[in-house]
Amino acid sequence: MKKELEHQFVSNLEKHQNIVHKICRMYTNDQDSHNDLFQEITIQLWKAYPKFRGDAKFSTWMYRVALNTAITLYRKSKRDIKTQNYDEVSFKIKAHDYDDETEQQLKLMYKAVKELNDIDKALVFLYLEDQSYRDISETLGITEVNARVKMNRIKKALKSIINP
Amino acid sequence: MDELDILKQNWKKQEEDLPRLSYDQIYKMLWKKSSSIVKWIFVISILELLLSTLLSIGLADAEYWAEMEQIHLKNFTIGLYIVSYSVTFYFIYRFYRNYRKISATDDAATLMRNILKTRRTVKTYIAFVLISSGLTAVIIAVFTLRNHQMFATAEDTSKYAFDMLDWVKLVVGGLVILGAFLCALWLFYKLIYGILLRRLRANYRELKKLEV
Repeated sequence: MKKELEHQFVSNLEKHQNIVHKICRMYTNDQDSHNDLFQEITIQLWKAYPKFRGDAKFSTWMYRVALNTAITLYRKSKRDIKTQNYDEVSFKIKAHDYDDETEQQLKLMYKAVKELNDIDKALVFLYLEDQSYRDISETLGITEVNARVKMNRIKKALKSIINP
Repeated sequence: MDELDILKQNWKKQEEDLPRLSYDQIYKMLWKKSSSIVKWIFVISILELLLSTLLSIGLADAEYWAEMEQIHLKNFTIGLYIVSYSVTFYFIYRFYRNYRKISATDDAATLMRNILKTRRTVKTYIAFVLISSGLTAVIIAVFTLRNHQMFATAEDTSKYAFDMLDWVKLVVGGLVILGAFLCALWLFYKLIYGILLRRLRANYRELKKLEV
């Protein structure tokens, strides 16, 4: 029974691991911290797995536990140095996909997103992941209206960074 | 097009560059030790509860009881112990219940609130132990002195003759020492939990701000 549960869990996580990697990219600045956070999220997901009921989607449930780990439960094992190894894990922009101006804008935006506080980052992350405002509000424990208001403010702030 | 929509489009392309872990690599992680703050909070809280329980209950030996009897505080002390045990059990029960409520499957705000609540239970208990121990110490000191006065022989009554001002000095002095001790402890607390809970508190404040 236990073996079966382990197998089920690991297969599910293997399939949806991108979600965890993206959260790690959002919240860490070097490869070691990325791996460390990935591991902690895996442990927390596994610990919470008996509570996971099939009625929710595994991925939706994952967003919640993984973000909770990144924002609240994870204790950084060492100081995160912001500039060091930034390129190693930062978001990739393929130059040939965009003209120079857009590429520059994207770089600026990713940088700005990385500098947001933990909660705003979670909001942006869920938005980029195409989650509905209802899901965002349920994951963070705020009202849907407040999630929208905050997201609009972040959008405005990002706009002013690109077009000062 | 919205600036964030350009970002959203690019976001999807990120997936191509993400690392990919194998089944075995993930499987191995299941048995690694967690470094979650909840584990630390649990360990520290249990230590604190144990230490303060020992402090409030374990210090009384036969000699202590004999002394209490001598200064007519035995019944008072028994009453105090009944209250102390009941309060201790109540706090341990509250701590256990709050701790059990902490779940990573809750929404972010509820999770943070439950962690802070668990901490607050322990903190209130420590405050209770310290304040009640301090007050008991002052009461015992007053009774001991009165006892000495009552049984003092004629030659040394002058030594124990306390006027009103002396009593005030004694009580105020005791309270000042108690206050200074509590302040020092409070600073120490701020330091430990400042380190452990700073980020959590900041994030919780941030979420609360959204509710205004």
